[in-house]
Order: sequence, then structure tokens, then C-alpha cells
Amino acid sequence: MTYEPIWGSIIAWYLFLAGVGAGAFATSAFLSWRHPEATTMRKVGHIIAPIAVGIGLVLLMVDAEAGFQNPLRFFYLLGNFGSVMTWGVVFLGIFMVVAVAALVLDLLKRPVPGWLENVGAVLALCVAVYTGALLGVCNTYPLWNNALLPILFLVSALSTGAASVLCVSIVHHADEFNMVGVLKKFHFCLPIIELLLVASLLFITQSNSEAGYQSVMSLVAGEWAVWFWLGLVFIGLVGPTILETWLLFFTSEKFEKSRLAHWISFASDAGVLIGGFLLRYLVVIAAVPLPVATPLL
Amino acid sequence: MTRYGMLIDTKNCIGCYACRTACQRQNGLDGDVDYIRYEERETGKFPHVRIEAVPLQCMHCEDAPCVGVCPTGASYVDDTGRVRVNEEKCIGCRYCMAACPYGVRVHNKATGAVEKCKFCTAEAFEGKAKTCSCVEACVTGCRVFGDLDDPDGELARAIVEKNALPIAGDRTKAKIFYVR
Repeated sequence: MTYEPIWGSIIAWYLFLAGVGAGAFATSAFLSWRHPEATTMRKVGHIIAPIAVGIGLVLLMVDAEAGFQNPLRFFYLLGNFGSVMTWGVVFLGIFMVVAVAALVLDLLKRPVPGWLENVGAVLALCVAVYTGALLGVCNTYPLWNNALLPILFLVSALSTGAASVLCVSIVHHADEFNMVGVLKKFHFCLPIIELLLVASLLFITQSNSEAGYQSVMSLVAGEWAVWFWLGLVFIGLVGPTILETWLLFFTSEKFEKSRLAHWISFASDAGVLIGGFLLRYLVVIAAVPLPVATPLL
Repeated sequence: MTRYGMLIDTKNCIGCYACRTACQRQNGLDGDVDYIRYEERETGKFPHVRIEAVPLQCMHCEDAPCVGVCPTGASYVDDTGRVRVNEEKCIGCRYCMAACPYGVRVHNKATGAVEKCKFCTAEAFEGKAKTCSCVEACVTGCRVFGDLDDPDGELARAIVEKNALPIAGDRTKAKIFYVR
């Protein structure tokens, strides 16, 4: 039997955007803690969070065709608290309320209270972990059914969320971009951690079953190899790490604050975003289910 | 308690696909939608080779992973032990398809909802309606449908007599038993 993936690029976009939105909000909360002077960047995060997650949710609803044709059915979504997806709806719902509230306070030029930032940051972590757990509980797919995936998606969410905030601030608020050193250092570490997690995921998965082996092989040496090595590993993880290592540790402070350095940083962050999407897409599309590989016979 | 189940004797299955065709007719399915799919396997060494066809459909598991993951409660187990989909509640997220270890749920392109084998032959078994189901259509009589909780019933006796087993062991407590 040939196997067609159950989910495709729409779901990958949703998982990616939910991660970006969650990460952007977490970045804002981090900024309010470590860089309270970077007020515009914090607002950028508050703008990206509800918009990215909102677009993701619309995509999710379009993909759920039966619900899209009969929208009232979406009210049943709280029908089974044994389902990770139901928990996801709860997290996403509350997160959206908090994210929109923070955005409205910003627009009204009122201060966003610290507790709201913290509650939003915790919910952002829940959303990011949920996107991994959503796939993780399907024990039909060895590439998904492991405890690394939620952590990997969480790290990627924080990384892409911060990248989205940094990208916008490079274009619009270069002065603040120069101030947020601690954020940049954290952001620098994330692709390295992600690289380790991806490597671990593949090492373990290839050994646990025939389907796991096939999934990993299609990524590293098969149908998806170019996307995996060039897109995810090089553009998304190694490239940004090299660029940021150079910028943060091997250039003068004067150059670091130059416009050229900003655009190099921009390229690195854009790479992180591309890699973030490809991570979701490849994990969704390359997973081979157990019954096809070993047809239970 | 009624607990519907089925036996499929693949030793007699000739892989003619009559069960699938009948199922499509009974359930009004398009030609490219099927609740029954087939795995084929070659056993033995040339020249003593046998091709085994194994029809697979919803196993009506007692530990149904699809029911566990369904966020809306559209997938459920009814009081006869059949796994059912309440189409009025299904949003078409296909989470159940990802969770099903047997790959036997299908996405209806027209309605967007997920469908699968309903054990429709139960209606004929209960004498409520005539059906043209897999059980009636099988030309070699491979399939036996009945109540697993009726120890004197044809199904329970056939399972014991032929030593029929679920296709993947006790993994999900499947209620279709195979003779192979």
C-alpha cells in the first residue's frame, strides 16, 4: 500500500505560526524583564503574537473541512478532555485572549501589567509544547511518538518567535535592536540546542522501528534530503549559528552596531524562520506510519 | 451485553474485492472511497509460493485510539461495542486518521468528515434490514459476523475452532479476528 500523508503544508503552517506567535509573546515578556527600556520591541512582540496565532487558527479551521462547512461544530471542540487537541484549543483560546488584551493595552498606550506578561508567557509555553504533543501522542508514527518532539517544537517556537521580533526591529527600530544584548545571546543559543535535539530525534527514531528508520532515511538521504540538509540544517540552524557567532564574538562593537551587521543579523533571523517552518513541514510530511512499513502481517 | 465482532478467514480469501465493492454499494460510496483496504503478502519460497490477501477495515477496537484523540467526541463506542462516527460532530481534523494503527479511516472529500466501516451488517444480523455488506458478498464465505458475548453463537464457536486472532495481537483489543 502506498501511503499518503494525512496532514500537509496547511497543518505545517499552523504549527509554525502557533510557534512563532507563542515565541513572540514569550520574547516580549523576556524583554519586559531583562530589557525594560526596549519598549517598542516589546510592542512588536505583542503585535506579532495574536496575528500569527490568529492566521494559524484560521488555517486550521480551513483545513478541518467538515467544520469549515458547518462552523457550529467547532463548539464541540471542548468535548473530550482526553484529547490533546482539546487541551490545545483551551491553551490557544486563553492565549489569544491574553495576547489580544496586551495588544489592546499597547494600542491604548496603557502599561501592560507584569502579571499579564507572565500569564501570557506561561500560556505561550503551553501552546508551543502542545504543538509537539499533538503529534507526539500518535503512536502510529515513530517520528512523532517520542518525548523529544514537544521540547524540540518549544525550542523552535522560542527561536522563531524571537527571530520574528528581531527581524521587525532591525527594519523599524535599529536603535533598540542595539540595546537587547541578553536577548540576542539567548536567541543565539537556541538553534544550537535545536540542532542537538534534531540529531537526537533522528538517531533514536531510526533505531526504534522499520517505520522510524524509513522516516529518518527519507529525511537524511531520500525524498526530503535536499530540504532537510539545505533548508533546515544549513539555512535554518547552522547558517544562523555561524553568522551570529561571528557577529557576537568576533567583530568589533562598532561593526556590530553598523547597518551592514544589522542586515547580516536579519539574514540570520530570516534563516531561522525558514528553518522553523521547514522543521514543522518535514516532521509532518516525512513521518511514515507503522502499519505501512510493517503491515501487521 | 451485545459485543459485535467478526471473523475473517484469509485462508479462503481469494482477493476478489467483492467485499469492498459490496461495501461501497451498501454505504453509497464513490469508487475511490473504501472502508476496506487490502494488504497482500507473498509467503514461502519459489516455486512453493502463496499469496495471502488480508482485507483490513475498522477493527472496532475496545481500546480505540481514534476515540481517545477525537477532540469533539464525534468518534465514540456505542452500546454494542461498535466504534462509530457521529458525522454531526465531526470537524474533519483527521486526528483519528493519524491515530488509527490500521490506517482504515477515510476522509470524505465531499463532506470533509471522516468515515469508516460501521459494521453495517449488524442490521441484517438483527433482522432489521437487508444489507449487501461484506459478509453477504463474500463469495467464499470468509466472513462470520456475530456477538462475541454469545458463547453458543456461530462467531464465538468459529473463533475457538479456527484459533482466530486479532491482526496485531492485543494491541488495541480489536474485535475482528483473523484466521491465517
